[in-house]
Amino acid sequence: MGIMSIEELVGKQNLDGGWPYVRGASWTEPTVYAALALLAAGEAEYARRGLRWIAGNQRADGGWPAQAGIDQSTWVTALVALLPPEQLGQEAHRRAIAWLLGMTGEESTLTYRMREWLLGNTRPADQEFAGWPWVPGTAAWVGPTSLAMLALEKEYSRRPRADVRRRVVEGREFLVRRMCHGGGWNHGSARALGYESRPYPETTGQALAALRGVRSPEVDKALTVARRFLAECRSAEALNWLRLGLLAHDELPESYCVPPGVTSRTLPDRSLEMLVSAVQEGSDLFWG
Amino acid sequence: MQKTITRRELLAAAAGAAALSACNVAKPVTLARVSVVRAPAYDQSVYETVGRLLDEHRVNVRGRNVVLKPNLVEFEPESSINTNPIVVHAALEAFRARGAASVRIAEGPGHRRNTLDLAEAAGYFKTVPHFEDLFVDLNLDDVSRVNPPRQFSRMKKLYLPNTALGADLLVSMPKMKTHHWVGATLSMKNLFGVVPGAVYGWPKNVLHWAGIEESIADLHALFPRQFALVDGIVGMQGNGPIEGVAKKVGVLVAGADPVAVDATCCRIMRIDPMRIGYLQLVSGGVETQISERNIQQTGESIASVETPFDLIPEFQSIRLENS
Repeated sequence: MGIMSIEELVGKQNLDGGWPYVRGASWTEPTVYAALALLAAGEAEYARRGLRWIAGNQRADGGWPAQAGIDQSTWVTALVALLPPEQLGQEAHRRAIAWLLGMTGEESTLTYRMREWLLGNTRPADQEFAGWPWVPGTAAWVGPTSLAMLALEKEYSRRPRADVRRRVVEGREFLVRRMCHGGGWNHGSARALGYESRPYPETTGQALAALRGVRSPEVDKALTVARRFLAECRSAEALNWLRLGLLAHDELPESYCVPPGVTSRTLPDRSLEMLVSAVQEGSDLFWG
Repeated sequence: MQKTITRRELLAAAAGAAALSACNVAKPVTLARVSVVRAPAYDQSVYETVGRLLDEHRVNVRGRNVVLKPNLVEFEPESSINTNPIVVHAALEAFRARGAASVRIAEGPGHRRNTLDLAEAAGYFKTVPHFEDLFVDLNLDDVSRVNPPRQFSRMKKLYLPNTALGADLLVSMPKMKTHHWVGATLSMKNLFGVVPGAVYGWPKNVLHWAGIEESIADLHALFPRQFALVDGIVGMQGNGPIEGVAKKVGVLVAGADPVAVDATCCRIMRIDPMRIGYLQLVSGGVETQISERNIQQTGESIASVETPFDLIPEFQSIRLENS
């Protein structure tokens, strides 16, 4: 898997300043990853048009839609909040953080909990702590929770605040409760109808990245699973997140090389690959 | 012990009441044609069988854009979780041979983001030449806003991929599987894969909150130009659609009416289609296409191919024997 050059990344930029997933219209997710990769490479000038496209799509509620024209703020807001405030704009970033702090999975809302209480339903253990949903009005899952935690951890390192800290701590508990029986994470359903489900490499890497700095037997178990996945997995996206997850815990073997034949197939995959390399070289764009 | 009424029972009761109220209003029903053909293995014979099925249904695709929508779920080539690539390749060649202007393969898995990696692991790259050029990841495709013409769920609008919306014919190609929330996953439930993850996430949880059965019915109504081709050569029984075990049936089931095709598949699996909530919903509770008498079935009789699928305890009541 060859790392994409800056020229190649810039060459894939749309005229409106955003980036597509593969080809076509601009989307928020690939544009944020591309901007982060360019910033990590010190190419702020190239990133600027992308940042303008992102800033221009912020919604009135402070969040971002997956794509311009979609009338709902979603999980991609966490990705945008990973961008440095000085690059995105201080006010736009502040509102992004406020959107994240106000968002939980529907199962953690007062209305839902009240309804369940009135129906006499007991709260499942994995719903005790609040995580983040992909889309407002739905349940919390591992992917969006991990991304939101990364953004809030970074915010906390800039401006320590109790409300930010509280959500990060709660997010950690959420992830621990959603861990699969043998360690690692899938999309967030460790058991379905009483049956154990298996972990995925990509979400295991994401959750480990979000749990940076946490030492516990659960994290150790997940690290074992992540190392196994790293040896077996042939998906570029999964390998990027596994490497980030292991790097977060200083557990990525120094000699590790991506095996031959692994292909990055989307722009986020290729940008993330650049970001992993930047993190390995000491960039603080991911964790602050 | 107090007896509580489940949503499924409530739905069946409502359907029954609707059926009774409709008794005096005999509506003419167009027979839906469904073919059941034997296909003992994933081998070269599948190619000839799929071509024969299309001819039997006089599927006219000359100059049209066809999108094949298989069911891709997990990175497991040896399991019975994904639509077998040979069936998809056979359909690709058959539609091309019948003059389709373009035939694309498109899917948007519900849990895994790395769709092309998943397809590679599932054997699609090996089986379908130039697969990557033919494939569209529906999770990442450009989208348009649509409003379900018949709103069964709470969703007033959906953003759906242009590749699926723009198809002259959308061919739903599911695996014949049990499903731990709705009983059976066939050609209609397979359309969950057109809902884009880039907008709604992985899983597409918005569909669960809007009601799984209702969402299946909404998606069915949004795609009126469909053909269903079900891979029942080896299906999945038990705790499907992911954790179940393989079940050999040895059939392909096809037709232009997904509701009739799914009802027929249910009967082959020894599941009562009248107890599948989404089939009840789209047929308006008056049996229409899901009733055997309204299906013109060709090929093998159900009795000759029926293969009881194991069901998890929660779904024992949908067995044909228990109806």
